[in-house]
Amino acid sequence: MFVSRKSLPRRAVLRGLGAAASLPLLDAMFPALTPLAKAAAAPSLRFGAVYFPNGAIMPQFTPKTFGSGFEFTPILQPFEPYRDNLVVVTNLTRSHPGSQVGDHAVSAAGFLTGIWPKRTEAEDVFANTTIDQIVAQQIGQQSPLPSLELATEDFSGYVGGCSPGFSCAYMNTISWSSPKTPLPMETNPRAVFERLFGEPGTAGEQRSRLVKRRSILDSLADDAKDLERELGPRDRARLGDYLDNVREIERRIQQSEARSVTEVATPEAPLGTPDTFDEHVALMFDLAAAAFQADVTRVFTFMMSRELSQRTYPQIGVTEQHHSVSHHQNNPQKIAQMVKINTYYAELYARFLAKLHATPDGDGSLLDHSLLVYGAGMADSNGHASDPLPVVMIGGGAGKGARHVEVPARTPIGNLWRNVAERFGANVEQFGDSTGKTNVLA
Amino acid sequence: MPEQNHSWFCVCLAALLTVAHLDAQALQTAQGPARQVIDKYCITCHNQRTKAGDLILETADLNAIPAHSEMWEKVVKKLRSGTMPPAGAPRPDAAGYSAAAAWIEARLDSAPPYAGRPVLHRLNRAEYANAIRDLLHLEVDIDTLLPPDDSAFGFDNVAEALGVSPALQERYLAAAAKIAALAVGDPAQAPITHTWRIPQDLSQDQHVEGLPLGTVGGTSVRHNFPLDGEYRIQAKLYRTNLNIMRGLESVHQVEFSVDGKRVYLAKIGGPEDLASLFKAPTDTGDAVDARLQAIVPISAGPHSVSVAFLQDSQFAEPGRLQAFLRSSVDNFDWAGHPHLQVLMVAGPFHASGVSQTPSRKNIFVCQPVNAAQEPACAQTIINTLMLRAYRQPPSSADVHRVMEFYASGRGSSSDHPSFDRGIQAALERILASPKFLFRAEADPAGVKPGSIYPVSDLELASRLSFFLWSSIPDDALLHLAIQGKLHDEATLEREVRRMLADPRSDALVENFAGQWLQLRNLRNFQPNTDLFPDFDDNLRQSFRRETELFFESILREDRSVLDLMTADYTFVNERLARHYGIPDIYGSWFRRVPVHDEARKGLLGQGSILALTSHAERTSPVLRGKWILQNLMGLDVPPPPPNVPPLPEEKDGDKPRTMREQMTEHRANPVCAACHRTLDPIGFALENFDAVGAWRSEDAGAPVDASGELADGTKVNGVTELRQALLRRPENFVTTVVEKLMIYGLGRGLDARDMPQVRAIVRNAARDNYRLSSLIQGVALSMPFRMSTAVSQTEVARR
Repeated sequence: MFVSRKSLPRRAVLRGLGAAASLPLLDAMFPALTPLAKAAAAPSLRFGAVYFPNGAIMPQFTPKTFGSGFEFTPILQPFEPYRDNLVVVTNLTRSHPGSQVGDHAVSAAGFLTGIWPKRTEAEDVFANTTIDQIVAQQIGQQSPLPSLELATEDFSGYVGGCSPGFSCAYMNTISWSSPKTPLPMETNPRAVFERLFGEPGTAGEQRSRLVKRRSILDSLADDAKDLERELGPRDRARLGDYLDNVREIERRIQQSEARSVTEVATPEAPLGTPDTFDEHVALMFDLAAAAFQADVTRVFTFMMSRELSQRTYPQIGVTEQHHSVSHHQNNPQKIAQMVKINTYYAELYARFLAKLHATPDGDGSLLDHSLLVYGAGMADSNGHASDPLPVVMIGGGAGKGARHVEVPARTPIGNLWRNVAERFGANVEQFGDSTGKTNVLA
Repeated sequence: MPEQNHSWFCVCLAALLTVAHLDAQALQTAQGPARQVIDKYCITCHNQRTKAGDLILETADLNAIPAHSEMWEKVVKKLRSGTMPPAGAPRPDAAGYSAAAAWIEARLDSAPPYAGRPVLHRLNRAEYANAIRDLLHLEVDIDTLLPPDDSAFGFDNVAEALGVSPALQERYLAAAAKIAALAVGDPAQAPITHTWRIPQDLSQDQHVEGLPLGTVGGTSVRHNFPLDGEYRIQAKLYRTNLNIMRGLESVHQVEFSVDGKRVYLAKIGGPEDLASLFKAPTDTGDAVDARLQAIVPISAGPHSVSVAFLQDSQFAEPGRLQAFLRSSVDNFDWAGHPHLQVLMVAGPFHASGVSQTPSRKNIFVCQPVNAAQEPACAQTIINTLMLRAYRQPPSSADVHRVMEFYASGRGSSSDHPSFDRGIQAALERILASPKFLFRAEADPAGVKPGSIYPVSDLELASRLSFFLWSSIPDDALLHLAIQGKLHDEATLEREVRRMLADPRSDALVENFAGQWLQLRNLRNFQPNTDLFPDFDDNLRQSFRRETELFFESILREDRSVLDLMTADYTFVNERLARHYGIPDIYGSWFRRVPVHDEARKGLLGQGSILALTSHAERTSPVLRGKWILQNLMGLDVPPPPPNVPPLPEEKDGDKPRTMREQMTEHRANPVCAACHRTLDPIGFALENFDAVGAWRSEDAGAPVDASGELADGTKVNGVTELRQALLRRPENFVTTVVEKLMIYGLGRGLDARDMPQVRAIVRNAARDNYRLSSLIQGVALSMPFRMSTAVSQTEVARR
């Protein structure tokens, strides 16, 4: 919405229609896309966290040996080309206080939070500020969008399909801007595109739209104050969130206005949500890569699919639902199917890595200037195991690559997030249930 | 009997400890049938030593039931459902169960009245779309404008789950701008492409409902055209994953129509296309797609656009021989029909103005003939819009704020002043306001925290309209509220009746039934295509449509909710009728048919419910049992415990085990048995329906065994007996419906304090044979719906 772009003549719009059928949609525009912050001397480090649901078959995920000479396992095979940029971390655990029953809600909500979320279906949801948001607090203000949250599954088709006793919010997002504030994840590529690059229109139209929107935001505060006067404390607190959001959007608009002197050719908008999972995931990754490249945001999270997902993957020969395969009951056939799914996800993610690797950024590539987490909040899925979690850190930000690091058994994942926070200059004393700080990002 | 001695001893002990001034005899009498049942049947396990389920009834004080309502409500549920004591243990007879439960309920119902209070309520996506429809006479494609909402307690209109975030707030701002431009007809609207994708598993070799007769396949969409001008309508055909376009073997004609009138006819396929396809599949596909576009002049406003294939007698029948084999299931089936995959509408180009559209007609209640009249007319228009959008008369400050946007949108005399642009700017401002997006309810001045007071008539009007219509109140309702008449019971009753009769109450089907029965989840149901090759999107849609029409008939015909379980009619089209084996039904439209087959009567015989509780490859007795317990019987099903031991592995040479055998092994584990003994037999009774709800008498070569013993000891065999068992105490089912209606109507979860109200509604509706309308009336007239509890300071702590 906030990046100004060259006016698109009618011809271009029509041409765009013809091109729209060939996917991935954004491929065509990549060469044309130039970073906004051209003048920046040293490229800044980006952060991304990509989540896959329903756990993994750990023996096929975790390399057999530690250190640098490890062999790639079947599930990690797609990452082999990025060996020198990659650190596998083994033995992390999500929070599991006492005898609490772990399931899918606490896996999604426990991964980037490092905490056991409060069991409730009501408004008193409580988790923890996630690592991506800690990073966003640190570096997010330097770009129009502090962070971008992406997903693929429209969860409105999963009513009643959440973990018993846990609010659906715990499963619908992996990103929380405060312990009480789950950040909704966007599944519609078109909407993501418009947030990143603006609604259709000429540069002049976009600029006047920004001006109008700013004046609306100014004026909305008065409406909110009217309400505030009448409301009780509980409702006032909810409205407080609203006003914070209004202020945050004002900041973004100011940033965009300041930047709009740079005109940049942006891609054609994608036309909606693709009907295959493959295309949808590819498009979301493309948008994240484009956002990094144009420096619209430096932080993103992406839930490739949702915990408890009922998706089937006939394209790779898995016709049973993901969740039901994941409870494999040690049946070798089901385990093999689960490995297929885990590998397939890694392949989809590796395509994104390839794109970042191929995109120049300052003195290196976007991959060189990123710290990317790939993993899940569940280990073996049969019994919802909380450890050892599948976690891979990729990108120049991970430090020396080609390592398989073994941390002490059941190291809270918060210890790793403290390490990540430090990497971005944030000093976090305690992250969820952390008991210390790993030194993985050497 | 030693057991009785034991319990007698415990009673004495409890009596000595808790109510020492009464002797045991007096206690027994004062605490009536409940004490007898509890002592005789419950405390064997629920005593201080065993503490089964962390519940101690041995020492529980029956004189203080309302003070421990949460625990006692659970006890009542167990007694009313007969799920405790467990099978095998001694149980009271029906009269004993009933007397004990009734006695406890009477104590629970004597608790002081409770109204509760929903938190600040954001409009959810469906409510927003309906509000725009009713405010502006504009149907918007809401899925492209706003993200889905979180849900809690099974519904996405629960206030507590409806949070806000910067991303959402941005979407609201963008939506306000787009809607205002579309509604008023902003000439500066840039050309944009809208896309509709047709599910790949939609069979297109038959007529599709809503499309012109004499066509097959294709799709029809209702679209709002922003301006008078030219639009490009474009279609793309389905290609296999090898990029080979389907259906080019012979000539087909593709018809484009707008509002049912043909605007373009394209020819595809035949020897030339086929020869070219063999040589250069991608180029040929592109060339064929390039033929499927037309530039059409269209006036502003809503029009229906459709693309379909003309029916050719040569191709009319191949599907009939093998009825409903998916026409697109096989990538290499070259005998298939062409399939529409994408429909796109782009524009406007060469926009020439904006005609009278329904939304302009609705917005412009006056038209200034000269500049001098503009301010007064703007004021009238804006006042009217604000009253409806804010659901209350706007304050002068409210109007002033919006008028400022009118003024800056209109522009001054130096540029091109435009009244319409002023109204558009004002509308955008109104739609972005928290007064539109939130339903705020304020405590009246001077009310004591914690006390109960009636909500204002305007607040009541909003509660009603969002409950029954998922939308804003209409003018009639608002005026009753403004006149202060709505809280009058007779008026309120009349309004509920009027609103239920209004088509807007379809929202109850879509949003209430769609979520209560989880029909929305059907969209994610993807059965294994090898095992169920006939399953296609046509059937998936038919499943949902059947149950929606069925629920709607109960609502519109003012029937008893028990008919949901037992009705001897349903709704089918040809596709569904064949699936069910109902003969002589032809055509794609739905019609009401009598159901003669006992097994198919009511919800439990409908494909929707049976499919959405199945796995991709097989039925799931567990999921079916859980669905019925939770959604029809109102019982909680806890999640499985962690680290469930795996079922023993099959060794080579072992005889394959049936699902039932595997489940039996599962239940041999006591950790699993506690719940599965309740769940599984319900699911087993439905085993005659396969994973897509088709009837079967054999499974994996063996006759289906649909027998089992329910948790209350009833032996059932098959769906009919299951249905009878579930309805033996119809109150259980009706209570569940009322609980769900309460959650939905109040927009909040229920707790033990709400249950007396729920029971009162059920009791009242019993006199009226549990008509759905009387349940809805009951909710709308209930105290929690009409009253609110003043916020106390302690609630701050919850945040």
